[in-house]
Amino acid sequence: MKIGLEVHVGLPTKTKLFCRCKAYATEPNTAICPICTGLPGAKPMLNKKALELSVDISNALNCTIEKETSFVRKVYFYPDLPKSFQITQKDMPVGHSGTLKINNKVIGIRRIQLEEDPAKILREDNYTLIDYNRSGQPLVEIVTEPDITSEDELRVFMNELKSILYYLGVDVDQDIKADLNISLSDSRVEIKNVTGLKNLIDAAKYEIQRQEKLIKEKQKISQETRSYSEAKLSTISSREKESDEEYGFIFEPDLTTYSLQSIKPKEPVYVSEIAKEYSKKYHVNESQLLEIISFDKTSLKIIQSFAGKYEMKSILNAILSFKRYGKSELKEKFIEKAIKLIEKGSYLDGEVISALEKGKEININNNVVNTDEIDSEIRSIINKNKQLLEDYKTNKKAMNSVIGMVLKKFKTNPRIISERLEYILSNEFKV
Amino acid sequence: MNSYEEFSKKDKPTDYFIKLSEELSKLNEELNAFNVISESSKINKFPISVKDNLCIKDMETTASSKILKSYIPPFDATVVSKIRGKNNFSFLGKTNMDEFGFGSFGVNSEKCPKNPFNTSYVSGGSSSGSAIATSILKYHISIAESTGGSISTPSAFCGVVGFTPTYGSVSRYGLIDYSNSLDKIGIMARNSNDIRFMYDIIKGKDSYDTTCVDVKCNNENNKTIILIDELIKGINPEIEKSFLELVDNFSKMGYKIKHKSLPFIEKAIASYYIIAMAEASTNLAKYTGFKYGFKNENISEKYNEFFTTSRSNFGKEAKRRLVLGTFVRSASVKDMYYSKALKTRTLLINELSKVLNEGFILSPVMPIKTPKFDEINKFSPLEVYKTDILTIPPNLCGFPHIAFPYKYLNGMPLGAQLITKHWNDYAIIDIVFEWENNFKYNFKYNLGSL
Repeated sequence: MKIGLEVHVGLPTKTKLFCRCKAYATEPNTAICPICTGLPGAKPMLNKKALELSVDISNALNCTIEKETSFVRKVYFYPDLPKSFQITQKDMPVGHSGTLKINNKVIGIRRIQLEEDPAKILREDNYTLIDYNRSGQPLVEIVTEPDITSEDELRVFMNELKSILYYLGVDVDQDIKADLNISLSDSRVEIKNVTGLKNLIDAAKYEIQRQEKLIKEKQKISQETRSYSEAKLSTISSREKESDEEYGFIFEPDLTTYSLQSIKPKEPVYVSEIAKEYSKKYHVNESQLLEIISFDKTSLKIIQSFAGKYEMKSILNAILSFKRYGKSELKEKFIEKAIKLIEKGSYLDGEVISALEKGKEININNNVVNTDEIDSEIRSIINKNKQLLEDYKTNKKAMNSVIGMVLKKFKTNPRIISERLEYILSNEFKV
Repeated sequence: MNSYEEFSKKDKPTDYFIKLSEELSKLNEELNAFNVISESSKINKFPISVKDNLCIKDMETTASSKILKSYIPPFDATVVSKIRGKNNFSFLGKTNMDEFGFGSFGVNSEKCPKNPFNTSYVSGGSSSGSAIATSILKYHISIAESTGGSISTPSAFCGVVGFTPTYGSVSRYGLIDYSNSLDKIGIMARNSNDIRFMYDIIKGKDSYDTTCVDVKCNNENNKTIILIDELIKGINPEIEKSFLELVDNFSKMGYKIKHKSLPFIEKAIASYYIIAMAEASTNLAKYTGFKYGFKNENISEKYNEFFTTSRSNFGKEAKRRLVLGTFVRSASVKDMYYSKALKTRTLLINELSKVLNEGFILSPVMPIKTPKFDEINKFSPLEVYKTDILTIPPNLCGFPHIAFPYKYLNGMPLGAQLITKHWNDYAIIDIVFEWENNFKYNFKYNLGSL
């Protein structure tokens, strides 16, 4: 199985790629000008910030960055394309021949290019609306080699990529769009325009099954373009002959060639490497650590500054407790206080976190609990009494007796027991 | 003294501009110089005309194409706003041209422009209207544009001075594109002083045009004129005879005359037309009858049919260039045509730069005499393209060049062209100034004389 991706990433610039309009305006057709609506006589001018961000991304994905980059016109006719050509890149992209490591495997990055987004089409029953606010928004297209060989790799790749982008200041979240190439045989099937990570995985899952079935039935898989339907959870043939496409690329003569040598790329952060290193060094769960830091600069900064000073387990515990109960953003000084409480044996519940956030002093004597002992008592009661789990599925109050039993053994705050019980039920017994 | 100074110093009757406007409108019915003439109430300062492919806010701008009919731009081209900024000029109107600049004789326009010296002759193109306007108005400067010879040719046929500056010295923002890597905005006037005066106003860096830069223009003159054998060999014998008299005159003025052979220069025509058409076919793609100009009312048509219907409004030459331009950039033949044409251009820039370091290239503007309308019809498209051999090399390479009248033959003006190296623009303007000591301009019309 071979999976390749073309990922489209919107860049967080203030203005559009080739004009001075606001890049992300909400009220339709308010951020438009002669340039992004393609009026006769208007000419593009490159947004330097977008170029810098595309260099950051190319560098983070270990691409070769040539001395210069230039743009081309890709001509095709569609109502969302005001000039009837898109300004994009071809022979001189910002980056090429890069790599991204996932699970000890290397995924090749073919090219990274900067281009403009077309306008947005809103189709209604009897009419179609066009919002030119999107026309000219800056996009980076990341094209991979077909090196991904499973749905799981696809997920890991996307998460890793998104995290790298996040740390470069390109927070894509659900806006990420991709074209997916999947071939289980000699025929390449392209699924165009899938939005969001969940849909991407679902589309891949469906298409893999579809092609497997065809192979099993000894039927031919045709080389084609398909689209993904979120509602039907399936892919549909687009009846588009992709091999015949003729864009007639020419050099964009209104722009020049741009030097890339003078741009100093931002230092990338590879969270999976950090998670691996720290989990080995400090004996904590790698995937839990990865989950905490993948899209959270503050947590990463806190972990890095407290590593070695405090137990990693306590640091993570403090961060997770704040994430669970905290009302404001993580703050290093509160986390440090929390870590100290944990290391003295205190249990952090919502009340404690809220007190910490308000800067109140905590009397730790009332709160010293060894949660590990509580946890093992809870497990032992449930294991001896499996019927409780069945009852719990229909009646949430069925577990109240457990709290009572634990409370008899440990004279402590019932809320703590209740929270631990809830945690164990969902994480360990999966109910 | 330039005409602007002369005009400013003279007293004008109160109805001067109204009278001018009336006379102009009347003559325009015969010559078709203007697509749009401003209302007389809006003309009260030194009159400037602008080629109809340059956007003027709130004034219909069509590049003489049906597809842009009634299009009113919401913004000024950078050259227009620079002129507006001086506050001393009025925009007299938009001048006729070959549709989108596609033509050498002016005939690719619905309203056919006519030569003011004799209306059975063509005016030359594509900046036909700008040349006619300059030729008929006593005090006038016109902003024109050249891609492959669109300033030199009509200037020569209508007996005015036409200056095409170094590519990149004047902002193209607001110019309706023909071929972006070749289009240059320039000036037509009745003397070299007016050219210099207006060039100083319109040139200079503009953040809205990436290809426009600030480079100091020079005035280097080593008093050497170079004649390229390949450019002279094919010209009409009558033209050649007159041209050699001009060369003699330059010799008398103290210029050293050198002959050079540069066979490679003949590749310029093919290279030019391939690049120009390839770029033009992408520029014309936006005219889908959807947002501006001609609007296709049949919005229930499928998009492919919709824009195809709209594009039937292009003229014949525009269609020809669309088809050829789309062909030469298509993937399977691109290396044979488009890519090769770009390489040829680079080689030619290098070759010609070497020659231009030794002196100025002088030639006639056109290898043929000003044709009559009935002669044009006998030319095949390829024969028309070939007549551009003298104007294409400097245009393809972005070298500054100037066309100026040097003789009247049977009542019709003859024009010669001087080419110099990049950013030596002032030198050729000064040579024409020098030439004007030996030459008397002879205009048939002098509308608005004081």
